[in-house]
Amino acid sequence: MDLDADADGDEEGDGSTTDVPRTVTAALADRPVEGRVCLEAGAGIGNTSAGLLAAGADRVYAVTNDRGHAETVRDRVGPAAAGDARANAAGGRAADDRLAVVEADLRSVPLDADAVGLVTAHGLFNVVPPASLDRIAAELTRVAAPGAHLVVDDYDPLPDDAAVRDLFAVENAATELATGSPALTFYPAAVLARLFAGYGWTVDRERTLLDPVPWTGRHVSAHAAKARGAASSLRPELGDPLAAEADRLAAAVGEESAGRMYSVALRLPEEHG
Amino acid sequence: METRPLGDTGHDSTVMTFGAIALNWLEQEGADQMVELVLDAGVNHFDVAPTYGDAELKLGPKLRQHREEIFLGCKTQERTVDAARAKLDRSLDRLGVDTIDLYQVHGLEYEEELDTITAEGGALEAFRDAKAEGLVDNIGLTSHADPDLILDAVDRIDDLDTLMLPMNPVVAGKDGDEYDYEAVLERANEEGIGTLGIKAFAGGSWPPTDELAQEDRPYCNWYRPVDTYEEVRERFDFAASSGLTSVINAGDPKLVAMILDAARNYEGMDDAARRSLVERLRHDDSPVPEQLHH
Repeated sequence: MDLDADADGDEEGDGSTTDVPRTVTAALADRPVEGRVCLEAGAGIGNTSAGLLAAGADRVYAVTNDRGHAETVRDRVGPAAAGDARANAAGGRAADDRLAVVEADLRSVPLDADAVGLVTAHGLFNVVPPASLDRIAAELTRVAAPGAHLVVDDYDPLPDDAAVRDLFAVENAATELATGSPALTFYPAAVLARLFAGYGWTVDRERTLLDPVPWTGRHVSAHAAKARGAASSLRPELGDPLAAEADRLAAAVGEESAGRMYSVALRLPEEHG
Repeated sequence: METRPLGDTGHDSTVMTFGAIALNWLEQEGADQMVELVLDAGVNHFDVAPTYGDAELKLGPKLRQHREEIFLGCKTQERTVDAARAKLDRSLDRLGVDTIDLYQVHGLEYEEELDTITAEGGALEAFRDAKAEGLVDNIGLTSHADPDLILDAVDRIDDLDTLMLPMNPVVAGKDGDEYDYEAVLERANEEGIGTLGIKAFAGGSWPPTDELAQEDRPYCNWYRPVDTYEEVRERFDFAASSGLTSVINAGDPKLVAMILDAARNYEGMDDAARRSLVERLRHDDSPVPEQLHH
């Protein structure tokens, strides 16, 4: 969107690079990113990796098991995006030579023990089914060095009256039937804090990143598409009604602001047990 | 309506400043009513310019009637001493007043302009002379140019009392120094410079003129303004909670009453809600693939 029509007309980027979301900058603002080796667990489209690089990370491992996401992160945050404002903001260091996109399962990360000084899980755990929580927490703890920091940003369970709950429920029904696991689980902050406490982490602080959470038309259609995708692998008499319901709900919801996104920051002791 | 110190000027400005450009699109009777409406809502800071059509002339009668209730800002796009002084005299004449509380360098866009106004024979010489003569109380600058240029101006104009600059959640969501008006705000607040926010209600650009001719636009603004109460209110709250002293209304008179209402009902906006708005607009506008998360 060009708000500067009478000025230089340079508001628009080329669309290939990322502006670091405020959720990311707010979550990292009080964390010692500068000079650290960082790991973004569940890299998505690379927003947090971009934020870590902008905050002066020494090296960022963007770990994702999704081939498409890995490519997107490389395109947006890696060499193709180097030389943009973010690289300049990071003290003139090119973004590319500090970023390594790692295609791997978070239950088995190809990094040495104690290799990382700061781990982020920004919007990760809501797509992690309960059965996988422990193995991921154990693995992230293994690669984290003594004294390492961990930032877990996620969503509280939605309030009862949130309309998007029904859409997420249909998405979960379709993916449960198709894959045996839910697509989405919204863990309260305290649940994830206790999970990591079991691996020796202590909570530094909790803050609210978004309140309310804006589920925009784009989010709602993306979730409906995910539900449709899962439903399409089911028997038609089961899948078709689920797909139709996802579409109906997406159209009915449109967009909605509901719920809270939180950030919990944790720390490992300087020396392991 | 909430008031805040306008930097170190000694004046407490209301959290909304009336952008009197709105008067340009009204007949005199409507302009008089508009000023009464704005004053009834409690607004005590007005801003006008000679480039706003005949807004100065239309503001005149009610301004003179209520002169003591109004902190009056005016500005000039002239960059040299003689031209700026002539423009100041003309504004005083058209407004029909003896003094202007805040006189501002209008629309600084280029480094060379800054060189000109700060040099010998530059506009600021006229501003300072007028201040010494008691015609002007405070000196300000307005710009929606590169934040670095505005910071440079803060460095180079020692007696700067106020700044007028853009504050908009769409721009705030963008990285890069060219969008970093928050750095300007921070600096202004450190230096005791009052700050006035423009572009708070910009919703986007108009469709290209071959799709929507300029004369067919429903608002006079050169950007497409937000125009539902909910949007106006969240835009006002965002700008007013950003560290600005005061937020200026969108220029179209049709929007002023709604913005006054938002200003009267302003109760702050916390960081989580501010980020929520930035995120929502960022996703609305995002050129990147669809995302499930924030």
